[in-house]
Amino acid sequence: MRHWKYIWRNVTRNKVRTILTVLSVGFSLALLTVLLGFMVMQGIWSTEAKKYNRLVVMNSMGFAGRVPISYVEEVRQTKGVKSAVQYAWYGGEYKVEKYPFAQFGTDPLHVFEVWDEFKIDPQQLKNWQANRQGCVVDRRLAEKRGWKIGERIPLKGTYFPYNLDLELVGIFDTPQAIDSLWFHWDYLNEGLKQSSSRATEHAGTIFAKTESVAVLPAVIKSIDERYASSDNPTRSQTEAAFAQMFADMLGGMQTKILFLGLAVFFALTLVSANAMAMAMRERTTEIAVLKAIGFSRARVLGIVLGESCAISMLGGVFGIGLGCVFLNLLHDLSPQFFQFTFQEVLGPWIAYMTLIAVGLGLVSGIVPAILAAQLSVVNGLRRLV
Amino acid sequence: MNDQAKSSEPIVVIHDVYKEFYRDKITIPVLMGLNLRVQPGEFLAFMGPSGSGKSTLLNMVAGLDKPTSGRVTVCGTDLGQSSEGELAKWRSRHVGFIFQLYNLIPVLTAFENVELPLTLTQLSRRERDEHVRAALEVVGLTDRMDHYPRQLSGGQEQRVSIARAIATDPTLIVADEPTGDLDAKSGAEILDLLVRLNEEFDKTIMMVTHDPHAAERAQRILHLEKGVLVDDIPTTGTGARR
Repeated sequence: MRHWKYIWRNVTRNKVRTILTVLSVGFSLALLTVLLGFMVMQGIWSTEAKKYNRLVVMNSMGFAGRVPISYVEEVRQTKGVKSAVQYAWYGGEYKVEKYPFAQFGTDPLHVFEVWDEFKIDPQQLKNWQANRQGCVVDRRLAEKRGWKIGERIPLKGTYFPYNLDLELVGIFDTPQAIDSLWFHWDYLNEGLKQSSSRATEHAGTIFAKTESVAVLPAVIKSIDERYASSDNPTRSQTEAAFAQMFADMLGGMQTKILFLGLAVFFALTLVSANAMAMAMRERTTEIAVLKAIGFSRARVLGIVLGESCAISMLGGVFGIGLGCVFLNLLHDLSPQFFQFTFQEVLGPWIAYMTLIAVGLGLVSGIVPAILAAQLSVVNGLRRLV
Repeated sequence: MNDQAKSSEPIVVIHDVYKEFYRDKITIPVLMGLNLRVQPGEFLAFMGPSGSGKSTLLNMVAGLDKPTSGRVTVCGTDLGQSSEGELAKWRSRHVGFIFQLYNLIPVLTAFENVELPLTLTQLSRRERDEHVRAALEVVGLTDRMDHYPRQLSGGQEQRVSIARAIATDPTLIVADEPTGDLDAKSGAEILDLLVRLNEEFDKTIMMVTHDPHAAERAQRILHLEKGVLVDDIPTTGTGARR
């Protein structure tokens, strides 16, 4: 500990090199922080979804297949089901924005029975139920967009050949921001009929709330068996499994990006190691002097490793901090994918990131440190003594 | 030679030392059967042409290198039998180094440079502080203790280097051409300082130099040629007291 001052002075000795090394380490760690944070969010979303004993019914072929609207009432009547509702993704453009926020066509009579943890003013709910062009949004989306009740929200269909002209009639509260807009499924369906689209009478997916968690397996089995021989067989799963499926779908991509991130990280480790090696080469005589006056191999090793760890920790603090800022920015921009703020997903993974930073310091510093520790004093001084 | 030097056991005993270097399968003999005894408190100057082995000899006495054969005993320790770790510890206790190019750590102040070898000891911060101030007092640089090496002249840097060498109160000081990079005036000041360390503080000093005038300040001048000690001339002693 007596050598911290010396270590720190060495860290700040060549400021440009240190800053560049810190930035390179920092940006690669920021990238890893975003990736790891995103994966953690998917895991938490999946865990959260287990609380609400909901299930999702979709076509056995996935999102590409049809789920006839007639299934909704049949699912609702299934033993063990409290309520069910169609939930059709619209994916429209808002003004000039191509992917502004999530939009779903649903049934205002039942949707708050299925998502009973979401809260809306009863009068606003009645207004929505009574207004076919009405829509509701979660509070954060309304605040972010500065929308008030009565706001006109035009959406241009991209997947569906029908544009929606919506009026904001209600704002609901959710435990986590979902950045979503709900409108009457009927409004979309009627519009599609007028435009002779083949996508009419299509529920998209069905979300159902069951009486308890215990009945979920039986209900799922019952629903899928009922439609097994139909033109549109279903694949039902718990909401948690559905969330996990999303995570897994993204997971393949995540894994690739993670490997890419690790490759970048590895390359930057080499860059960092090279910077350390250069620093040590420049200080050969100085290290020889240290050893001459009595610094042991272990002490020299510790000093060099301390320096490389200090630099990588600086990069780590900067990078992890930057990554957390990015995560919050991404949460603001796209809460349907980045469901939580970094504060909400804070956990051991941040400590792992810190360990990675320390590890980087050790890996990048170990070779220069060993070379420094093994340096012959006589050779290091070039001149003898 | 002062009184202590006359009466004590030798501090350095070099017995039949051979040293060979190997380069591209060629054996290069550097020291050939060298014998030398140095009494405590002596001030020795080694002279000789380049490649004569004087610096190699000094390396061995300082515990930086080992002989191919023979025995080097300094302060009662057979250096040839010690491990590198033991030698590092031994050097921190017994040897002070003065280099031709001062070799101060550029990112540390004069105070911190002098403190550096003390960080290897068990001394408290306060005790280290006292030792550093005392050493800087000896070399007359207490007013420059917060200056970095780049803010000092060559002579001042060498004085800081001397303060660093004596901070731990070592038995032996080895100096490699301590005036080789200095102008005549600064060089003379450094030599005065070495003489003072020898006379007032009874430090044993072994100095390599090419400068006959510098060598004159020592008590014995030893000439090496081709790895053999060819001359061991006691000076009149006036050199050390000039």
